Parts: sequence; structure tokens; C-alpha cells
Amino acid sequence: MQYFRKIVHSRLFVIWGITLVALIICLAVTLVLISHSKRIRIVDAPPKLPDAPNPTDVLPAPEQINIFLLNPTSLEITPVKTELRLYPEPTERLRQIVSVLVQETPPDYRNPIPRGTLLNEVYIDSQKTAYLDFSHHLADGHIGGTTAELLTVTAILKTVFDAFPNDIKHVQILIDGRERETLAGHLNLSQPLRF
Amino acid sequence: MWLRPFETILPLLFIVILVFTTHGIAQASTVRFVDGESKTLTDVEFTLHQGIIYFPVETLKIVFDPEMTHPYHHPKKQLTLKTKGKELRLQMGETAVNIDSGKEPLILNSPPRVIQGQPMLPIEFFQKVLPRLDDVEVLYNRTLQRVRIIPKTVWAPETTDDTHEWVIIIDPGHGGEDDFGCKSQNGVTEKDVVLAVGKEIQRLGNQQGLSIRLTRDQDVKKSRIQRVQTTNRNQGQLFLSLHCNASFSPNHKGMRLYINNPNGQLRVKATPIPVFGKKRLNILTQANFLKQSQNFASVLQKELNFLAEDPIVISEFPIITLADVYMPAILLELGYLSNVDDATRLSNPDHIVQVAETIVRAIQIYSVSVNQSANPNGL
Repeated sequence: MQYFRKIVHSRLFVIWGITLVALIICLAVTLVLISHSKRIRIVDAPPKLPDAPNPTDVLPAPEQINIFLLNPTSLEITPVKTELRLYPEPTERLRQIVSVLVQETPPDYRNPIPRGTLLNEVYIDSQKTAYLDFSHHLADGHIGGTTAELLTVTAILKTVFDAFPNDIKHVQILIDGRERETLAGHLNLSQPLRF
Repeated sequence: MWLRPFETILPLLFIVILVFTTHGIAQASTVRFVDGESKTLTDVEFTLHQGIIYFPVETLKIVFDPEMTHPYHHPKKQLTLKTKGKELRLQMGETAVNIDSGKEPLILNSPPRVIQGQPMLPIEFFQKVLPRLDDVEVLYNRTLQRVRIIPKTVWAPETTDDTHEWVIIIDPGHGGEDDFGCKSQNGVTEKDVVLAVGKEIQRLGNQQGLSIRLTRDQDVKKSRIQRVQTTNRNQGQLFLSLHCNASFSPNHKGMRLYINNPNGQLRVKATPIPVFGKKRLNILTQANFLKQSQNFASVLQKELNFLAEDPIVISEFPIITLADVYMPAILLELGYLSNVDDATRLSNPDHIVQVAETIVRAIQIYSVSVNQSANPNGL
């Protein structure tokens, strides 16, 4: 009996007892929380959207535009039709069109824009001059030669003027945000150009 | 039975092939004679004998002197040509040409020969003998099989003193380690081709009494401003920038001439001219020399057409290379390095010499015409 009392009053027994009580309390709290969470009503479907859609979220209808590429048979820069969902805002529209010119080359055509060229930024000023800022690849990746340089510039200008016959009168080509005298050492690109 | 349709088609096919083949042979065995204006005089069928081109004697009547007589003594194999007030005696198989008996005979490398019973003259006869008979120069383009007979008075002035004053700036484009211009598939670079042509122009031009200065005479990088400074400091009468072309299509080929015109096929946005009081500032620009540049371009075009398969085009664009050069200026693209045929031609030293000779002749023709218009009485 005395031995039993000794055990009950020992420190180890007290620690074990406290731990057991703590575990029981934790288990009880967890069970209470689980049962409470089951009581939250789960909505079966998302809330109904308003009937009138937000105008900025509407995708524009597809439009046909021309991008100008080199026809290797006629050796001329010729229009190639492509379909785009164009935004109405002129600057955004210009960005979309020139981006397509930079990126796309349908079969049977040659793109006079050097590979890797990116369109950084576009801007149209109050005098109807469009500023097209390309990445350095347009100049650094150019094959050289007056004809090749002319083909590149002609493709850009024709694409822009065809899409904006009234809104753009001149085009200034920029490289990484700066004016540049020339792409490959022949044509003068230091000022805005038109046909 | 099943062969019956072929019985009619096969002979037709044979005839078509025969016509095409013989047409090809006929085309390959003719030489085109052109005049000083590069207009075709006639296409003459030639005979190739031991690698030498021979023409019938009648060719001389068509291309040189319609009033020429050419009696031929068959047993003696002796040909007598009476033309331009002179009498020439030629013995078939012998290289000596006696012009007006008594004078020293002219010796040819290839003798006139009787071929298929007819007396024939070697192409060398046209090149060496005709300039002795009249005031003409005879040029032969081996690649295109063309012979051009050009009056010497057009480009060789009686007094060469005026042309001594002429300073011509030749600008071989690009240069240096990191600016080789464009490049062909077999590694021919623009900077090397244009330097070779430039040096050859300088060598030949100096021989002709022209003062030719190069903006670079070795493989070094020169900025546009450095080239402009060299050019304007030398106070030249003409500026010719030499380049090689390239395209995104390998089918583009041939030479091209460009003139700087800010209002040409591409137009630069006009910048307002500064005004002081009521006077507009008169700024000297390259555009002041537009008319002279056009004149020089048309002379160069006419001369270079002799070397070109297709007529050379002159285009006017805003050209940065010529923008700040205060004299008549032209950019000449010698051919496309992106085209296999052009690249092969441009790596051929003979072609380089031929192009340089033609350019020097064009400079001489232009300088003579300018001097004549400035001093019409020859005073």
C-alpha cells in the first residue's frame, strides 16, 4: 500500500497525468471544431452574375487586316491578309498590328523583320506621327544591304499606313527607345518617314 | 494497241526538245554588239576555234563601217579591207595586219583564219585594229558575250589638263573587325569586295590623270562622320560610296544605284528652316547637288549596263551615307552577296578590274561633260 502511495505521489506520475489530460482536451477541441465546420452551409453554385456584362471584358469582333511581307517570287512587298481581334483605341490597335508583323511569317513569304525583334512600345503624337520602338534585334540582327534595309522599312511603313490611312501620316522607327541614324548603314531613319 | 496515243505524242515531244536544245545552242553562240549608248547593233553568231572567238568579215560592215569593201582572193587566201579611207591587207593564218602598205604592221596574237570556207576575224582584231582606224574603243564583256564600240571622244578629252583638277572621293563602305557589312554563303564579305574595287579604281584613275582619294585604304572601321570629314576636307568634285547588297530573297541580283533624296521614294518629315528676321537661313545640304548627282548616276548607269545582265535601276531615297557630303554623290551597290551568281562574280578578280575600269571611264565621261558645259567654247 505504501508502495502504491509512493508511486501516485511520484513526479513522473504527475507529468504523465498532465500530458494525458492535455491530450484529451486537444482531442475534444478538435472534435468540437470538426462538428462545427460541418454545420457551415456549402453553396452549390457561384452567385448569379449580373445580366449586363462589363464593357471592358468584351472581346472585340475579328477584323481582317493586311500585314506586308516579301513575296520571294515577285520580289516585292505584298499584302497578306490576317484576322485579328483589334481594340478600338488607336495606340493599342497599332501595337497589335505591328506585333503581328514582327511575329508572323505565313508559308511562301519572307519576313523582312529580323528574327528575335520585339515591339517594345508604340505611341502616336498629336501631329499623327507614330513612334514604333523596336528591340535592338531590328538593327543588330539585320543582314545588311540597301535592298534588305528598304524591304524592312517598307514592310513596317506599308503595314502601318494601310491600317491607319487617316490617323498616321509619318512613322519614326526607334531602337530601344532611341532615334537611330540607320538600321544597316544606308537608309536615313533619323527622322519620321512616309511614302 | 495501248502505244497508239504515244505514237503521235512522242514525235511532237521530240520536236519540242529539239527546238529548245537548238535554241539554247544558238543563244550560247552569239555575241551582242552594242553602241556607246548600250543599244544593240546586232547579234552575231561566232565560231569558236581553239578557244578563240571568230566573226565573219561581214560583221565589220554592220557594226563599224557600212561602206567597207572586203574582196577576198581565195587561191592566195588574202583579204583586203577598204574602210575609213584606209586599206588593210590580211593573210589568212598570219598574225600581221598591214594598214596602208609601207607602215609597220600590227601584230595580233590570233591570226585571221578560213573557217568553213569563209575568211573569219578573231575578236582581238576588233579590239586592236578598230581603234587604229577610227576614234573608237572596243570593249569586250566575256561573261555576257557583249562587245561595245564606244566613240573615244566621249570620254577621252583632247586636253586632259582640266581633269587633272578633279578630285574624286571613293568610299569603300563598312570595314574593321565588327563591321563586315553583308556576307555571302561562301564567306565573301562586303568590306573586302568594296575595298578591292576602291583600290583598283584608285590605281586605274591615277593612271588616267584623275586624283582619286579613298575614305579608307585598309580594313579599318571608320564612322560616318570620319568619312564625311575626309570627303569635305578634300573638296572633291564627286563622291562614290561602294557597297554590296543583300536581300531576304536569294533571287534578288544585279547592281543598283542610289541617290540621296529626302523627298524621293521615301520622304522625310520636313523640318522647319530657321528664319532670322525676314530671311531664311540658306543651309548647304546634299540636296543642293541633286541634279549633278542624277547626271553622274545616269552616266554611271549607262556604262555599267554593259556589265549587267539586266538594266541597272537608279533609285532616290534618303541615304544617310550621302547625307552630309557637299558634292555630287552616289551610292553604288555592286551586286547581291545573298545571290550565288553575284557573289561568285564579286569574288572574281577579273570582274573587280572590269567594274573598276567601267567606273573610271564613267568618271571621265562625266568630268568631260561637266568641263564642256562649263567651258563650251573650249577656252
